[in-house]
Amino acid sequence: MRTRLLAMTLGLLVGAAPTLVAHHSFAAEYDSSQPVKVTGVVTRVDWTNPHIWFFLDVKDEQGKVTNWGFSGGPPGVLQRRGISKSVLKLGDTVVVEGFRARDGSNNASGGRVTFADGRSVFTASNEDRAPR
Amino acid sequence: MSKTQMNALMLAAMIGVALVVMVDAQTKPAAGQIPRAPDGKPDFSGFWDNPKEPGSRTPATVFNRDKMAPFVPGGEALFYEPRTGDPRHDEPRAFCMPSGFPSAFLGPYPIQIIQTPQYLVMQTEFMNVTRIIPLDGRPHKTDIEPTFYGEPVGHWEGDTLVIEGRNYKRWSLDDWYYQNPKEYRMHTEALRTTERLRRTDIDTISYEFTVDDPKIFTRPWSVQWEMKRHPEWEKVGLYEMVCNENNRCEGGKCRDGK
Repeated sequence: MRTRLLAMTLGLLVGAAPTLVAHHSFAAEYDSSQPVKVTGVVTRVDWTNPHIWFFLDVKDEQGKVTNWGFSGGPPGVLQRRGISKSVLKLGDTVVVEGFRARDGSNNASGGRVTFADGRSVFTASNEDRAPR
Repeated sequence: MSKTQMNALMLAAMIGVALVVMVDAQTKPAAGQIPRAPDGKPDFSGFWDNPKEPGSRTPATVFNRDKMAPFVPGGEALFYEPRTGDPRHDEPRAFCMPSGFPSAFLGPYPIQIIQTPQYLVMQTEFMNVTRIIPLDGRPHKTDIEPTFYGEPVGHWEGDTLVIEGRNYKRWSLDDWYYQNPKEYRMHTEALRTTERLRRTDIDTISYEFTVDDPKIFTRPWSVQWEMKRHPEWEKVGLYEMVCNENNRCEGGKCRDGK
């Protein structure tokens, strides 16, 4: 059931070219062979070090809601890139692309956030693997 | 106004202009010149960035194996620390352990340098690591435990700042982001590092880095890179970065909440 749910909620992107990118925790914590792409509603934003975390309620075809966590870059790195906390608003519907946590939980490294109006921001650490 | 008064006024104005030009010349050297501290030494103060892989945000690899010296007998086994599958051993940085020197200073994070006649202070935004380097060429300590960041001591050789590092704990010699699951690269406690910094122009530091670890390599070997100045970072400065605040997926096991 878990697998079926995931298959429904995740758009698994295959064939992403590997890149030699990692940081102190990316390779240890995220699986670059498990890209994820979800659409959901922002429920929480932790603007914290060493990585920001934001959470989405993701609804599957049966209407079941699963909460996903996505990590981004450190607040300072994002701030310097022009991305502040106010970019991610509670209640916004966004598309997030990233790589799933190694422990198989509903957590991932979130690399790209696309908003309803089509704007897209790169939210990962400079050294993290970026979705393509 | 008398002629004498007029002349005095003009002289004062000329001195004023000259002073402004002099002050300006001190803060903004002409092309080809480098900024100098009041004591005449090149001034490395400012905000700096490490080289990036072309067309990317990621830091460039500076420790290519082909730039290293050959191994001494037994050196390879010390250099390539075998992985055990335990993330605490295989990637201690994922548990907020220190990256060590030079690894922490090779990442894609700004580095601020503050220079006085007595010290060069080098801070990276990455985990707020600070090196306070005395510039008097004092002898290295002989009675301290080795540390992750070692004991740096600087001295000047003309316009080149030479920093000699000793007293390193056995730890990673990786590039900051280097990852090869079969190669976790380390140095021994015999490591000695030599940094040679030259400010080649207002926007550039030439950074030569020499690794001497006689328990691993047959001879010292060097790599060179350039750091680029980012004056636009001055206004905000470095941001705080605290590893233990919300390291939510520590070592690959995510937890709920903060």
